[in-house]
Amino acid sequence: MADLALAPELVVPIARPAPDYNEAVVKKFIIAAVFWAIVAFLVGVYLATELAWPQFNLGLSYVNFGRLRPVHTSAGIFAFGGSMLFGTSFYVVQRTCRTRLFGGEALANFVFWGYQFFIVMAALSYVMGYSKSQEYAEPQWHIDLWLTIVWVAYAVIFIGTLMKREEPHIYVANWFYLAFILTVAVLHIGNNLVVPISVFSSQGYSMASGVQNAMIQWWYGHNAVGFFLTAGFLGMMYYFIPKAANRPIYSYRLSVVHFWSLVFLYIWAGPHHLHWTALPDWTQTLGMAFSIMLWMPSWGGMINGLMTLSGAWDKLRTDPGLRFSVTAVGFYGMATFEGPVMSIRDVNALSHYTDWGIGHVHSGVLGWVAFISFGALYYLVPVLWKRGGLYSARLASWHYWIATLGIVFYITSMWVAGIMQGLMWRAYDAFGFLQYSFAESVVAVHPYYVIRLMGGLMFLIGALIMVYNLYQTVHNKSTEPRLVLPAGLAVAGG
Amino acid sequence: MDLDPSDLIVGLLMAAFGITGLILASGAMDNEMYVFGLSLFGFAGLFEFGLIRRHFDRLDAVGAESRRHG
Amino acid sequence: MVIRHEFIEKNAFLLLVLTLVTIAVGGIVEVVPLFTIETTVEPVKGVRPYSPLEQRGRDIYVREGCYVCHSQQIRALRDEVERYGHFSLAAESMYDHPFQWGSKRIGPDLARVGGKYSSDWQYAHLVNAQSVVPESLMPHYAFLADTPIDPGDIVARLRTLRMVGVPYTDDEIANAVDDLQAQANPNADNSALLKRYPKAVTVPGDGRQVTEMDALVAYLQVLGTMVDFADPANERLRQ
Repeated sequence: MADLALAPELVVPIARPAPDYNEAVVKKFIIAAVFWAIVAFLVGVYLATELAWPQFNLGLSYVNFGRLRPVHTSAGIFAFGGSMLFGTSFYVVQRTCRTRLFGGEALANFVFWGYQFFIVMAALSYVMGYSKSQEYAEPQWHIDLWLTIVWVAYAVIFIGTLMKREEPHIYVANWFYLAFILTVAVLHIGNNLVVPISVFSSQGYSMASGVQNAMIQWWYGHNAVGFFLTAGFLGMMYYFIPKAANRPIYSYRLSVVHFWSLVFLYIWAGPHHLHWTALPDWTQTLGMAFSIMLWMPSWGGMINGLMTLSGAWDKLRTDPGLRFSVTAVGFYGMATFEGPVMSIRDVNALSHYTDWGIGHVHSGVLGWVAFISFGALYYLVPVLWKRGGLYSARLASWHYWIATLGIVFYITSMWVAGIMQGLMWRAYDAFGFLQYSFAESVVAVHPYYVIRLMGGLMFLIGALIMVYNLYQTVHNKSTEPRLVLPAGLAVAGG
Repeated sequence: MDLDPSDLIVGLLMAAFGITGLILASGAMDNEMYVFGLSLFGFAGLFEFGLIRRHFDRLDAVGAESRRHG
Repeated sequence: MVIRHEFIEKNAFLLLVLTLVTIAVGGIVEVVPLFTIETTVEPVKGVRPYSPLEQRGRDIYVREGCYVCHSQQIRALRDEVERYGHFSLAAESMYDHPFQWGSKRIGPDLARVGGKYSSDWQYAHLVNAQSVVPESLMPHYAFLADTPIDPGDIVARLRTLRMVGVPYTDDEIANAVDDLQAQANPNADNSALLKRYPKAVTVPGDGRQVTEMDALVAYLQVLGTMVDFADPANERLRQ
């Protein structure tokens, strides 16, 4: 042990050596997540450009707004978000259960490569002109079927690992990851019931139609947000914030209440996407009531995450990754207040169909989902590649401030554009006629579309800084290697 | 040859997927199904190659270990 | 409560089952009654399945992502009804597999765009929107006019729609290819087509081959036209 820079008396044997975790698959997902993040942000910036200056549609079918939009949403939610969830869930479940992933190396690799294949096939199909038009469920039946197979393999690995755990208690992060995996499976199957015209054709027709199809779509769509983008990422929060802050989660009791009330209430919120439509009144009212109630468990989770920093707030000055995670929780609180407000029927009468919805979505996905992911990445990359720390904390700081400013430009421009649209569409002149034509509202929001483009561009630039920083963390010799002790030993008192 | 059960199950499933891809491409009624079928076949082929390579890499590593310590 | 929760946390299977039960409740309560309560979709005179050309056009509307910018659902709000027409009834989308109500208006709502503009205007607008609406953000869809439709799979499409509940008759399916071609040919005799599909609009195609543009315009021209709100039979629907 002469190669260890530690005095022998400081190295002690520990009772249970850490198992041989499967970190290879985690690393693969982390690299994929970073790649897809850049793709998603780049396509988003291009879409914003098309909306500001439609000449950028180029008259080409492959890059026009209608075909490219699902590429952006799928890349952001499923490719970037999904890869983060797969990677972190595999990391967290192994460490909190003190056991290697169930199912062997081949199954884990199948889940990784199979998921990447799904992403590529879906994006290719949209660009070729084969979407089935259900939001966040655009792939045709055969690509959906492939995803189901990959998802089942994922569930087998995750649940199998829980069942063979060496720790008696299942840690709270895993409750959230489990709820995410199970619910997404149910939602995916429920909303993608399609009959193809032939097994050799990608064309199919949904089993449900009209108002029932609408309800099922938004049961799915809102819970894609609730379980994919919220519950899964809360699992991430419940592990990486306490780890980075080196503090326990603020309240166990709150975790329990938070979990069960969130997973119960979220499912009901779907109808708030269908206010004032042909959906029956009783369904709209239920959706509104439960959406408002949902504010409580959401803020319970926010409080739990933020108060974990109690006694460690000074770490925010020195740890830029932790700064991302804590800010993420702040944006989560903001978005989960805005959502219930927009679910109120009379507010929704103004906000529906406008850019306010886009602003709300992006405060959630940029502020919460992306930021909590960046926090996890800044923690995980040095750990996984056995480096002492990030290549540059300063660069991470630059990323933070540029990205945050970008988000502020994005959401405020969309708030102004959205409320302006809503007010213009309902404005009457002195004679009792509608004051504005639809086209006039399009012209009025153009400057805000340009500001939004700037915000998105800043967010992309911040992410590129992160890519450079992470790359250098892994490859640059100047990054201190992390002390790795042989199995069965630990630093005394550490 | 001592096969890891995970390798065997995934390997068999992949072979089935590969053949399915080829069948879908052969009868494809539109471009997308054609591209999907061929891609599935290609993906399965590459994955099988990876499984076989890892299997033999593992055997070689174990062989080298035992020769070093034997 | 805390002691009992410990029991759940130590049992993966129990956690799994309880989670599944918890998430199932909301979906069942909100979705199932929409299929069982008869008043969810009140039948309205005039609503009919799409003609083969209209359905084919709809499939193009779906795949091109038109719903991304255009909604097809007029809400029961005063200004909306004044701008777009009678608020949308559930029956009007009962044969829409999938629904196209949309969630964003980058362009105007299209629920009752049928007949608002001439077919020639629709062709011009789809080829280059800015040539008829300078402020428009819409992409150019000229490529649709260059893509012929292979009528070979129209029967399979209608048969599958029948499987999911759209009441196409055997007669309609048997004549699907002829109806498709007739509706895109201004010189053809359309009496049989109109008997099967009242108010179907014949579009000014070139009569030789049916293009995707022809189909899309045929679809757009029928939107919102099926129900006659002036008809006394529909009197209770009038606001």
